[in-house]
Amino acid sequence: MDITLIFDFFPKLISYLHITLLILVAAVAIGLVIGVVIALIRIYKVPVLNRLAFIYISFMRGTPILIQLFLIYFGLPALLTLVHIDASRANPLLFVAITYGLSCGASFAEIIRGAINGVEKGQAEAAYSIGMNEKQMMVRVILPQALVIAFPNFANSVIGSLKDTSLAFTIGVMDMVGRGNTLIATSLHALEIYLTLSMIYYGVVICLEKGFSLSEKKLQRFEGSLSAEK
Amino acid sequence: MIQLRNIQKSFGNQPVLKGIDLTVKKGEVVSILGPSGSGKTTLLRCINFLERPTEGEVMIDDITVSSQKGSKKEILTLRKKTAMVFQQYNLFRHKTVIENVMEGLIVVQKNSKETARKLAMEVLEKVGLTEKANAYPVQLSGGQQQRVGIARALALNPEVILLDEPTSALDPELVGEVLEVIKRIAEEGITMIIVTHEVSFAKDVSDYIVFMDQGEIVEEGTPTVIFNNPKEERTKRFFKRINREAGILESNLSSVI
Repeated sequence: MDITLIFDFFPKLISYLHITLLILVAAVAIGLVIGVVIALIRIYKVPVLNRLAFIYISFMRGTPILIQLFLIYFGLPALLTLVHIDASRANPLLFVAITYGLSCGASFAEIIRGAINGVEKGQAEAAYSIGMNEKQMMVRVILPQALVIAFPNFANSVIGSLKDTSLAFTIGVMDMVGRGNTLIATSLHALEIYLTLSMIYYGVVICLEKGFSLSEKKLQRFEGSLSAEK
Repeated sequence: MIQLRNIQKSFGNQPVLKGIDLTVKKGEVVSILGPSGSGKTTLLRCINFLERPTEGEVMIDDITVSSQKGSKKEILTLRKKTAMVFQQYNLFRHKTVIENVMEGLIVVQKNSKETARKLAMEVLEKVGLTEKANAYPVQLSGGQQQRVGIARALALNPEVILLDEPTSALDPELVGEVLEVIKRIAEEGITMIIVTHEVSFAKDVSDYIVFMDQGEIVEEGTPTVIFNNPKEERTKRFFKRINREAGILESNLSSVI
């Protein structure tokens, strides 16, 4: 093993970090939209949709992300040909974004649902008592507090997703791992390359954790003195 | 004017209110007294439909909402005529003191931010909390939080303020400041319905006393009549017990009365 090779591989690999981050940002954005919608469907127990939402969450939780990735990659174009849309040459990044978005959506939905239920009942009553309608109550009083409650779990889930993106290369996305694989094929220094990759992922996760913990403090400023009292 | 007609409420098979009729005139302060579990709080919550009555109707001014037929829109209209002060304060935790008071003014009454801020400051002045305007609820004492709760209700300039045991969750030494604020706004001629355990306070501040037990009104009348000359055995027994426990209460209230 040649440790110094890490310095060689590091710039080559990190130049693909933006692909990884792009997948993550897309997944989180899609996931947030799906998550809030599904959480509300489940909270208000919307008929039929509630049932579907339950199945969706249960399926996403119960199957490995790698299998989901293949299901979307092969399944979506197959579905689309039924309506005469050719998706066989679409950018694999698109399929990755959809898969990870759906996966994030399922976990965010449960996190947000738990958080909404975690907001004190008195908050909704206070909102109603001053004459707010249901939507105003939800948007102005419950959701802002629920998102703060949800934040730590949300942060964990995002970090998990970042690591999951390392599977995107399996459908041909050229991210850091994809680039790593081509480097292994040409250089035969697998260990050094995986070491480098682990350092990059670890570094990014540490940065994310720092960022999340800072924003958590900022978000929870109104809880501040409460936790200090405890 | 507020009128409750034959308000009944059951939780499952358990009847909690057995047909309450009550009329409150504009500017009147009505206190509802009674032992725990008598249905006082449920009655109060039926007035703004936080609990939907099983039977009966609520009339405030020109709007009447009936228990079963009352639509969402009617209930909303009814709620816009009322405001409530909660036992557990229920301030919006994610908003500062002034934002709590401004919220209804902006979102429900559609005032501009500047107008809302001005009105909110005036009300905070009344409850003596202008210097805490930018604090978050968790940074305040219970008494201060409840004064914000009162300010939030008062700011909306409602037809009636419903106060649900406003001092029951407070440490004894903080009760006085809250009662003082309630007394001050009572003197301004704001209509209030107060559910309370503070008997001497009720005597002092109310125009009318309602004594409830087991889901019905046992006796009602002016404080003089109810306190000096109760007719019903249940009322007499209640006051006898309260008087025995009143030692601590009196010392708290001496500052107010």
